[in-house]
Amino acid sequence: MTSPSESFFRLENVSVSYGRYEAVRNLDFEISRGEVVGLLGDNGAGKSTTIKLMSGTERITSGAIYLDGKEVALRSRRDSENCGIETIYQEAALIDQLSIVRNLFLSREIANPIGLLKLGEMRRISREILTNAVSISGIRDPDQEVGTLSGGQKQSVAIARAVYFKRRLLLLDEPTSALSVRETDALLDYVRRLRDEGVASVLVTHNLYHAFEVCDRFVVLSHGRKVLEVDKKDTTLRELTDHVIKM
Amino acid sequence: MSWLPHTIREHSVVSMFVALQLVLVIWALVAPDSFRYLSASNINVALRAIPPLAIMAMGVGVLMLAGEFDLSVGSNYTFSAVVMASAFNSGLDPFLSVALAILAGTAIGLLNGVVALTFDIPSFIVTLGAMLVWRGGVLYYNGPSSEPFRPEGPFNAVFSDGILLGDIQISAGVFWLLIIGVVLGTLVHLHRYGNHLLAVGGNRNAAVAIGVQPTRTKLIAFAIAGGCAAFAGVLATARIHQAQPGQGGGLELQAIAACVIGGVALTGGRGSVLGMIVGTWLVFTIQDVLLLLRAPGFYLDVFIGAVLVAAVIGNRAVRGRT
Repeated sequence: MTSPSESFFRLENVSVSYGRYEAVRNLDFEISRGEVVGLLGDNGAGKSTTIKLMSGTERITSGAIYLDGKEVALRSRRDSENCGIETIYQEAALIDQLSIVRNLFLSREIANPIGLLKLGEMRRISREILTNAVSISGIRDPDQEVGTLSGGQKQSVAIARAVYFKRRLLLLDEPTSALSVRETDALLDYVRRLRDEGVASVLVTHNLYHAFEVCDRFVVLSHGRKVLEVDKKDTTLRELTDHVIKM
Repeated sequence: MSWLPHTIREHSVVSMFVALQLVLVIWALVAPDSFRYLSASNINVALRAIPPLAIMAMGVGVLMLAGEFDLSVGSNYTFSAVVMASAFNSGLDPFLSVALAILAGTAIGLLNGVVALTFDIPSFIVTLGAMLVWRGGVLYYNGPSSEPFRPEGPFNAVFSDGILLGDIQISAGVFWLLIIGVVLGTLVHLHRYGNHLLAVGGNRNAAVAIGVQPTRTKLIAFAIAGGCAAFAGVLATARIHQAQPGQGGGLELQAIAACVIGGVALTGGRGSVLGMIVGTWLVFTIQDVLLLLRAPGFYLDVFIGAVLVAAVIGNRAVRGRT
């Protein structure tokens, strides 16, 4: 278990309720630098709500969120971005009709004071991150339309965005569900590489094999509550599977 | 046909258009007497008629890129023109009257957006209502008679006559079309706003997730559609020296058709300002050629209808999507 002093991001006694229904109940959760946490549980356990409240798209009804020891309010996606958090969904949040470069910089365009895009610079940086940071096979140039990419390539573009904008925490909500085996391998590889660079990740997945392969710690939710928190070294895939199924 | 380079795919309409113009020009050179396509009078008609519709189409097209429609642009065009003419007739400076008309048109467009986005109603329906409201509004405000508009002095050169080069009258509208085309083209394709516009139109949820503000982005597009419709009305009225309550009817569909022919996707997120202008020009060319060939009037609608559907099918095929 990670001690509180190492964690940079912490949820304290957080709840999210819709009327009388509590999607997340009194959740304590913390993440250390460069740690990969698997957030597990059955459908309706509160995994997606937890991801949403961390990405600012769902407001907490009680409790507090701390970044570097200071309480932060995550009221929008922009708030979470400002805290260095990037969210990657199962369907990568990309615009099919736009080129890779336009997607990479969407809402964070490099522009002059009157808002005209510096497309040359954006292209140069895109080419750099596409070839160095995340080498995506089959991508010819940053002007390629995202709609022509495969599911895995799209996830890579979304991750490239996180890498470039120097995120500290990556929230991955079922990132592998639409990917081929090879693409999944590549994705899990990115997560490991980012961990080595100090970027933490929270991975939500139904696939316990994927989770076990890459995560350092597991948090199992059931009916909005945390029912298990265990380090990888203290458990086995079998034991973890039993826990999730039992819930 | 994903092997086609991006630019060619985006500009397939432009290449088709250029090919068609080449054919027509060669035809006119070979048979100048029977096909008077290159006669000064025919060119002058084109230079007068294309700009107002193209300007309206650009406004409608920018809004379509955001995934929204404005069916009220025809009524807006008329209403704003009547506002200009009556303001001028009651003593306002003609240039200020133009400003007032554009302000009115922009406000109408903005109101469409506010209603559609606040109540989350399809803009198609809201602006269908607005089309009828402002059509009636003109009659309420002005009655069925046309409003004369006869300003004097430099106003006519700036908004109507333009400059004369030999036999060719380059109407003021041509210059306005170029100016507005460059401004909107820059805004859509080279400005941060355009990136947000295409994103919101292409995949609203993803755009929101990435941090684009959809309401603000769309409201600006609604305002642009309204402002362009009003300015088209200004140009047409400055040319014919009167604002007629019935003049804008049907223009909204022509403008949307021109955009679709020009490659703007009905679903939003895809299209270019150049395509919108070329689409308008193509619609005009079809009408013009049929008139030159003395085809019966109903041929016009039949041809434009057929080209419209063919353009959508063609654009899909070229993009390799179904």
